[in-house]
Amino acid sequence: MPIIVNLDVMMAKRKISSTELAEKIGITSANLSILKTGKAKAVRFSTLERICEELDCQPGDVLEFRKE
Amino acid sequence: MWNKDKSLYLSRILTYVCAGLAALFTLFVPGIAQWYNDISDPIGILAHKDVTLPMIIVVYFCAVMAFWVLWSLHKLLSNISNDKVFIPENTACLRAISWACMIVGAALLVLAIWRAIFVFFAFIFVFLGLVMRVMKNVFENAVEIKSENDFTI
Repeated sequence: MPIIVNLDVMMAKRKISSTELAEKIGITSANLSILKTGKAKAVRFSTLERICEELDCQPGDVLEFRKE
Repeated sequence: MWNKDKSLYLSRILTYVCAGLAALFTLFVPGIAQWYNDISDPIGILAHKDVTLPMIIVVYFCAVMAFWVLWSLHKLLSNISNDKVFIPENTACLRAISWACMIVGAALLVLAIWRAIFVFFAFIFVFLGLVMRVMKNVFENAVEIKSENDFTI
C-alpha cells in the first residue's frame, strides 16, 4: 500500500514504548502492533487524534504517501 | 424461551436427522427405482427403456452429493456455534453447497432422458444452487467487510 505508517520513527523520537503508548491512547498492544507493521486497513480519526496528542506531532509525521 | 442457541441446536439436530434419513434411504434405492419404473408414465426420449439402472446410478450419485451438503452444513453450524460466522471457511461451505445443488440438477437432467418429469426436479435444484450462490456472494462480501472492520484501528 502506498500509505506508510511511520509510527515507530515517531515513537523512537519521543522515546516511548509500545505498551506505554497503547495504554495512553486506549488501544490494545496487538492493535498498535497491527498499525506499526502497516497491516491496518484504516485508522479512525479519534485514534489518530490521540496518537498526535500523545506524541505531540502532526498526522503527516505519522502517515506518509509514497508512490508505488 | 426460544433463543439463538436453541435455534442453532435445532438446526444441528435436523442436520443429523437428515443425514440418518439419507443413509436409511440409500438402503432402499434399488427397490424404489424398480417400483418407480413400474408405476411411472413412460414420457421421454428413451421412455420405452427400463429406467431402473440409470435411476439407481443417479440417485446414489445424488446421495453422495447430499452427504457432501450435510457435511458442509455440519461444518457451517459448528463454526457458527463457535462464534466464527464471517470467515472464509464458511464461504467455502456455501460454495460447496451451491455446486452440489447445481451438480444434482445436472444429474437429474440426465435422468430426464428416460423420464421427462425429472426436468422439473432438475430445475428446482439448479434454482436452489443459484440462490445458494447468491448467498455465497453476499457472505463473501460480508467476510471482506468484517476483515476491514477488524483492521480498522
